[in-house]
Amino acid sequence: MRTIHYKIKRFDGKREWYQDYQLQYEKGKTILWALTAIREQLDPTLVFTSACRHAICGSCAIKVNGKSFLACKTSLDEVLETFKSDNLVFEPLSNFEVIKDLAIAWEPKMEKMKQVKPWIIPSNKGNAERGFIQSEDDFHEISSPTDCILCGVCTSECNQLAVNDGAYLDPFILNRAYRFSVDSRDCAPEEHIRPVYENELWKCIHCMQCISSCPKGIPLTDEIAYLRQESIKIGEVNNQGAKHAFAFYDDIRNKGRLNETMLPIKTDGLIKTATTKIPFALRMIKKGKINPFHMPKAIEGIKGVKEIYKYAEEVKHP
Amino acid sequence: MFKYDVVVVGAGGAGMMAALYASKDPSLKVAVLSKIFPTRSHTGAAQGGINAAMGNRDNSDSAEKHFRDTVKGSDFLADQDAVEFFTTHMPELISELDYMGVPFSRDINGKVAQRPFGGASSPRTCYSADKTGHVILHALYEQCLKNHVRFHNDWYLLSLAVDNGHFEGLVAMDIRTGNVHAIQAKAVVIATGGYGRVYWSRTTNAINMTGDGTAACFDIGIPLKDPEFVQFHPTGLASTGVLLSEACRGEGGYLINKDGERFMARYAPDKMELGPRDLVSRSIETEIKEGRGFGDGMGSYVLMDLRHLGEEKIMERLPQVRELAMDFEGVDLVKEPVPIRPSCHYMMGGIHIVDHKTCATPIEGIHAAGECCAVSIHGANRLGGNSVADVVLFGKYAGQGAQQSAKKRSFTSTAKLELEKIKWTEKFDLIRKKKTGINMFEIRDKMAETMWYHVGIFRTEDEMKQAYLTIEDLLERFKDAYIGDSSESYNMAFINYVEISNLLKLAKAVTLGAINRKESRGSHSRGDYPTRDDENFLKHTLIYNEGEYYRLEYSPVTITKYQPEERKY
Amino acid sequence: MRYAFFPGCTLESAAEELMISTMKVAEALGIELIELKGWTCCGASHIQDVDDFLATSINARNIALGEKLGVSKIITVCNTCTLMLRTAKAKLDQNKNLRAMVNEGLRSTGMQYKGNVEVTHLLWALIEDYGLDRLKEKVKRPLTGLKVANFYGCHILMPPKIMGFENHMNPQSMEMIAEVLGAESVKFDQRLACCGFHAVFPAEKEVMKLTGMNCLSPKASGADCLITPCPLCQMQLDAYQPDAQKGFSKDITMPVLHLPQLIGLALGFSPQELAIQRHVVDAIPVLTENVLV
Repeated sequence: MRTIHYKIKRFDGKREWYQDYQLQYEKGKTILWALTAIREQLDPTLVFTSACRHAICGSCAIKVNGKSFLACKTSLDEVLETFKSDNLVFEPLSNFEVIKDLAIAWEPKMEKMKQVKPWIIPSNKGNAERGFIQSEDDFHEISSPTDCILCGVCTSECNQLAVNDGAYLDPFILNRAYRFSVDSRDCAPEEHIRPVYENELWKCIHCMQCISSCPKGIPLTDEIAYLRQESIKIGEVNNQGAKHAFAFYDDIRNKGRLNETMLPIKTDGLIKTATTKIPFALRMIKKGKINPFHMPKAIEGIKGVKEIYKYAEEVKHP
Repeated sequence: MFKYDVVVVGAGGAGMMAALYASKDPSLKVAVLSKIFPTRSHTGAAQGGINAAMGNRDNSDSAEKHFRDTVKGSDFLADQDAVEFFTTHMPELISELDYMGVPFSRDINGKVAQRPFGGASSPRTCYSADKTGHVILHALYEQCLKNHVRFHNDWYLLSLAVDNGHFEGLVAMDIRTGNVHAIQAKAVVIATGGYGRVYWSRTTNAINMTGDGTAACFDIGIPLKDPEFVQFHPTGLASTGVLLSEACRGEGGYLINKDGERFMARYAPDKMELGPRDLVSRSIETEIKEGRGFGDGMGSYVLMDLRHLGEEKIMERLPQVRELAMDFEGVDLVKEPVPIRPSCHYMMGGIHIVDHKTCATPIEGIHAAGECCAVSIHGANRLGGNSVADVVLFGKYAGQGAQQSAKKRSFTSTAKLELEKIKWTEKFDLIRKKKTGINMFEIRDKMAETMWYHVGIFRTEDEMKQAYLTIEDLLERFKDAYIGDSSESYNMAFINYVEISNLLKLAKAVTLGAINRKESRGSHSRGDYPTRDDENFLKHTLIYNEGEYYRLEYSPVTITKYQPEERKY
Repeated sequence: MRYAFFPGCTLESAAEELMISTMKVAEALGIELIELKGWTCCGASHIQDVDDFLATSINARNIALGEKLGVSKIITVCNTCTLMLRTAKAKLDQNKNLRAMVNEGLRSTGMQYKGNVEVTHLLWALIEDYGLDRLKEKVKRPLTGLKVANFYGCHILMPPKIMGFENHMNPQSMEMIAEVLGAESVKFDQRLACCGFHAVFPAEKEVMKLTGMNCLSPKASGADCLITPCPLCQMQLDAYQPDAQKGFSKDITMPVLHLPQLIGLALGFSPQELAIQRHVVDAIPVLTENVLV
């Protein structure tokens, strides 16, 4: 008989500890099955949250061996295969306040979410009596972002949130802002986008954890790119993030390649670079890592690259 | 003591709609209690859609046709004034939801798209892909955030305090702290959802659909209306009850028993697997009953085999079904058949509503909306697409009704309320500190098994009477239940204890209603009375809880336009 | 074995040592790398924040350059370049309208995206094309006793729908290579962590914290050095290490090598031939102690 060993992180409001449980292996079960079996057969004091058990209510996400999963939708066999181990560690999601054992608090996140006005600001093209006319294409714009079930997996996996002081918005909050800013029925996209910009939008590290772990397959990183583009459109260009992105954009157009020497100056400005990046630059130069006099020459075919830029401009502003 | 003008219990579609409407009057202090975070509510599980005669797809559709279809679907047990009110107001409600930001799928004209649904004479089901309930739930929550609706999340309703017919308030536990609170209120809206969990593992319902509000109303003397009407779905996944779409049968899936037979040949030789839902459900259960199923007890099942369709067709026509079976049953139906069994899907019965325009119950100040109550627009059987519609529409009118009640009533005595608080505080203390007794989950499972086999798809006098005795015995044994968790804060075992106690009370009422309804009507199908009997049973069941004794009454059905006729589809 | 080689900007400047070591290793293994003529920067996971259509277009051009060479794969040695090229490819292959539009933009350059070459990374190519057995045969100096901490970096793993070479939650390719080379892979908490490089300007404080954690974790597991298949991870972990140190009281010193440098050592090259001396945190002492004796 194969036995699966579970180590579950417990928390009673004061004390934290790991507790061991064992269950016989059964084929074709889910993580939620294991949690339920442990609770009903071994330890009724274990607290976790679950409701619909088919991936629509978003209650049951936890971490298993350090990765976040929606427990009802995650096959035990798959997890055992992934980690090549019969020892599983269950912990509450990261980057949330834990209430008890695996149960987390959502209220602080909702307070945070309110900043992006996560509700429709209806345009005068519709009214409560007749609703709106919205094209099928416009509906498709909001179809995927409204798949979000607020399960918290993206938050738990977010590398910026893990080291952030608290202002940075959780990926699901960015998704909400995106969802309303692209809704053709909403008349004030900027009201959703500006707070996103003001809350450290450019601190996303592009680590791809959110898009990779979302149980609903929401293209979160594409949405973040969109939000950044829109923040630029509303005029927020004078910041490190936008300037850094523009450094790449401009260098490729001009020469085809990045000028690494100039990158800090383009991003931070000459004065800040001079005051903060000098030691870094000196050690790079000293080791021969960079040659400050290396100025990339224009690549073969740069004319074509410029044509591509021109075409992309036309696509963007037909 | 907390004090609100209006308290809404439950934060699903009905609860949040009620809260939004009750708080439209800024002079009223409104709060919502929910045992879970609002967007976890079961409204979110509704996939297919929401019915409203918008006429976007078929301009010959009308509220009148929706009215007729609903009455016919209800097997003439619905109250026709309520149904007419419902179908008349649904189109404007869809527009309102649209304006609140619900992302509806659209037609080529940019209007809300509509699709055909079972029992509907016109394609009138509005939808958002396959996540209609989910997007409505979230849009309502967003509106609540916008309008600063006050939520007490992880608060659990324990009881309502009524003294001499006078509603004083309610008692609830803050689950996170374990504190029992008395909440004085002028009006309450109960919106706690259904109680499909009386069949525990054999339901498509979420784990927490335990009829808390329905039981609380029942306890203070509000009757339970038509509890015997339970809708079953033929194809739930065997181990969890999660719904497997009807499309499996539609695309040509085979139902196979232990002997490898396509057993539907025995029951519907022409239509085979495409027979009507209730017939397929009964056939599956017959196979299991006669020993031709797999597994045993509540774990029994038959197989749905789709392999002959081939991978290509499965991938093209049933990709979501395949994913569902893979995710929740661990079966790839390209390679293996998937274990299935019928599942309880919806409760038509519930808290007795006496005025559909305000969703008032017989006790002034207490209102209810959604699956927890019976308005009754579903009568003996609910049409697909009418449940989310019911929830949001009557949630709205319950909110308005509660607002009116709150303005009419004043805060008075809290004597009963304080007593109730003390009673629950002591009970919590006693139960959590209890060291031995009967495992409550065993009682729950026995209840579910009893209900499934004897008050489920097959119903006969003898078996149901036996079941009634078993449930009474379980209620008795439950007095010695042991929960196994002594902690004060976040004691989910105690919450489960109260939930199971609620389910037991409601199971007994379902059984009593079913025994006494000696006919077959809608979802209530009796082997010993196979036909509808309008002469004796064109009436609502009302069950009153008088201590441990349940009293049965009947009340007339409101018939305005459509005289009962034989139901043929 | 022939590949179209997409070096990426870093190899021309801040990570020239990766260019040097990659070329050495490829030559020793008999892998022919034909550098794409006129390749542009991939956009480094930033350009889509200005214009996502452009991000796809310039990488369609980069891929089209490879298609012209008549090889079956474009190879990279940078995680982010791999991700950017593969992202463009996935979008172009899945969306016919987008492909038509992008090709319209390429028309003036006389090029066209056809979709008939793959984009791979050296790490993957060694396993699926070259073969570990063959690599093992080439090992002249097994790295016995060297404890390496394999730091994958995000962009070689995720999003799995685009990268998908191995399970992103528990990849093994780096460990497989290390084993063949004779080195011992240590387990450490930050094995699949993010280096933070792409936000080092707007989120300097946070990224330095990540860098410190990423150095301390392998240190606690007794690793001699970090190994990474990505020059951006390498730059963040190595060149910024002195800056990160300021936020930590514990010594975080941890040498960081490029994957081709590790392979090169096993193939018998000297640290100088692989330009290991160019790293900010000196790796030569631990190598001398463990490998070069």
